[in-house]
Amino acid sequence: MAAFFRLRIVRDLGIALIVVFGVGSIAMLLAHVSPFDGFYALFDGAFGTTSEFAETLVSATALLFPALGVALAFRAGLFNIGAEGQLVLGGLAAGVIGVFVPGPPVVSIVATLLAGAIAGGFWGGIAGFLKSRFGANEVIATLMLNVVAALLATYAVDGPLHFATANEGETPLLAKTAWLPTIVPDTRLTISIVIALLLALALRFVFNRTIFGFELRAAGEAPEAARRAGVDLRSIALQAMTYSGAIAGLGGATLVTGVLHRFNTGLSPGYGFVAIAVALVGNLEPIWIAVAAFAFGILQNGALSMQAEANVPRDIVNVIEGLVIIALAGRRYIASRRTT
Amino acid sequence: MSGAVLALRGIRKRFGTVQAVDGVDLDLNAGEIHALVGENGAGKSTLAAIAFGAVIPDEGTVETKAVVGLVHQHFQLVDRLNVWENVLLGREPKRGWRIDRAAARERVRALATEHGLDVDPDAIVETLPIGVQQRVELLRELERGPGVLLLDEPTAALAPTEIASFFRTITALAKAGTAVLIVTHKLQEVIDYSTRVTVMRSGRVVARYDTNATSTDEIARAMVGGELPPLAERAATTPAPRLSVRGLSAGNGGGGLVDGTFEVRAGEIVGVAGVEGNGQSALADALAGVTSYTGTIELDGVPLTATVTPAARLAAGVRVIPQDRRNEALVLGWSIAENVALGRHQTAPIRRGAILDRTAEAAATKEVIERFDVRPPDPQAVVDALSGGNQQKIVVGRALGAHPKLLVAYQPTRGIDVGAATLVQSRLIEARNAGVAVLLISFELDEIFALADRVLVMSGGRFVGAFDRANVDRGRVGALMAGGH
Repeated sequence: MAAFFRLRIVRDLGIALIVVFGVGSIAMLLAHVSPFDGFYALFDGAFGTTSEFAETLVSATALLFPALGVALAFRAGLFNIGAEGQLVLGGLAAGVIGVFVPGPPVVSIVATLLAGAIAGGFWGGIAGFLKSRFGANEVIATLMLNVVAALLATYAVDGPLHFATANEGETPLLAKTAWLPTIVPDTRLTISIVIALLLALALRFVFNRTIFGFELRAAGEAPEAARRAGVDLRSIALQAMTYSGAIAGLGGATLVTGVLHRFNTGLSPGYGFVAIAVALVGNLEPIWIAVAAFAFGILQNGALSMQAEANVPRDIVNVIEGLVIIALAGRRYIASRRTT
Repeated sequence: MSGAVLALRGIRKRFGTVQAVDGVDLDLNAGEIHALVGENGAGKSTLAAIAFGAVIPDEGTVETKAVVGLVHQHFQLVDRLNVWENVLLGREPKRGWRIDRAAARERVRALATEHGLDVDPDAIVETLPIGVQQRVELLRELERGPGVLLLDEPTAALAPTEIASFFRTITALAKAGTAVLIVTHKLQEVIDYSTRVTVMRSGRVVARYDTNATSTDEIARAMVGGELPPLAERAATTPAPRLSVRGLSAGNGGGGLVDGTFEVRAGEIVGVAGVEGNGQSALADALAGVTSYTGTIELDGVPLTATVTPAARLAAGVRVIPQDRRNEALVLGWSIAENVALGRHQTAPIRRGAILDRTAEAAATKEVIERFDVRPPDPQAVVDALSGGNQQKIVVGRALGAHPKLLVAYQPTRGIDVGAATLVQSRLIEARNAGVAVLLISFELDEIFALADRVLVMSGGRFVGAFDRANVDRGRVGALMAGGH
């Protein structure tokens, strides 16, 4: 039991909980709201009814995909800030392809999701290529590519890819065959959550059991030792960024095929950025990232009802999320200073 | 407190389950050079850190009457800053609100001259060889005018000539009244330069001698608590051609290798003697495939020029024990098992298609732990927590476990205790007996003479001499290393 509390992930989650409830309470008191009412509203909004709980899982799924992508790059020592852009372009590709593939459901769903993964992978791969070919800093490259992706998507849906049947900033509704089947009737919870969880398991397998995962982790933790042990650092950087982007792009595609059923330029309220926090809170371990994504899903979803029922501005949730990130990043920073 | 400048009384310190220091008394007197010896993990470095004040003991007292300086085993320098910036960090001379660069440079230059430490104040630290970085560390401590100087394995990285000049500096400091404590593994240096010796084992002081009344044998026995195992026997081998290097040039500037031509046959150890920074790194890197070069390298008559990558060299049967085990050989945050797999993960049995075979990894790890007596013998132990000697056993063990054709061993016993060093050296001899071609690059002449069948001497990036074991002449080798003829 003592060993359990010594696990870094457990302590990180403990810190996260203290920040959420401690700072959250203070913030609510400042807003003249009883923390009990505020948190009750938050959890009621996240768990109160079947459809509310389903929405919480929808948010968690939307975060889990890009968080897994970010974690993969992180494990290779690369900071992929560009999950947001990769996710948006993945959604765009899925939205466009989804209109054109009225095949049997399996074919059109697979084709649509694949289109999203390829688009996201391409976008992440650009940063990977610049890194491995020219040594360009991936943080700056992905950050700028986010802006390019957002503008590109806006331009595309209102310009060359504009459909006569669609509103501004959107593609038309997808063919029904490309819609992801729901797993809880009358909710937006689809099989995308199953795909995401399987992906987490797959990623854990890749990290722990495959040669590629081994080389990826070596490159991330000790690049010079890895290089001398035969690891091709350039190839790892290119692959890691490509797969990282592909996972984020797949996430964007599931938002299109499962939630909105069309691409909209407002597809993501910043999932790709919150995903960085989710990946870090989950200690870059796929299974724990799934747990962290669920926790963040509660926050994101409960915030709405907290605002509606308890008059707590939903921005407080953004403040809390930001503080969780700072607390954990600070802890990590202090720990790294101690060991060196 | 008697006449001691630094007095430790009843010091105890525990880290987790390890009692690192277990009730130690130690006095340092002005003007003495006190050697502190013991195997890796005996508690020497911890004791030095306690004396310095960097580690708080659980029990016991530390009394000092003077400024205490500590030169760390792992350098604590800012790589991207230059020499004077490192030496004066936090104590820079100011002119108004700006750093007085001219005065700073002059102060460091004067300090270096005063202590006979040759270093360019404007050189960027990361471009300097390890031996010179050491001088920068020493200068930084000397700048504070310490009455007590603690040196944690100060000569581990130094060449013989550098060691001699280093001890000239230290002896002069002691004569001027500084109390010096040297933590070291090198018993010959203890005998040659110290005045008193304290031997530690498992956190306790087990012996204390006046240096002129003891011998290296007596100290070694006290350290290991018995007799040292003898070095492995050299078996008769029938050397066959293996590695052939012709006209090899690599690297550039001071540390480059120029036009090297030599052979290493299967079943022999060829020792490369030389002062650090005379082309050895470039030689090892060219063989490892981590740097580009001109000239030819042939293994069993096959040129290794098609693809120059570490992966291609590993596949061809070349294994290199790198100079810097912490950065170039190990992933410190990983377990012993994963580190054993590293570099052997691209071939069977550890590679099975796209899968890393954990069973094969466990088998390879067991072999390394058993053959090299790695402590703790726990495959899941994190490597960063192991002593330097045990880390090095893993590096050497995984290389030999891959059954290489050619083993390049760069300072394979650097900074490790006499027990671990003897074990590593024995395993190198056994590999030679089994038909491995071994290229031993070392700055320790004793090590070269103990192991090598043939000795090559490097100076200024060139091979300037070659000797057979039978007719090697220590004086000649030393003269050639120093750039003579």
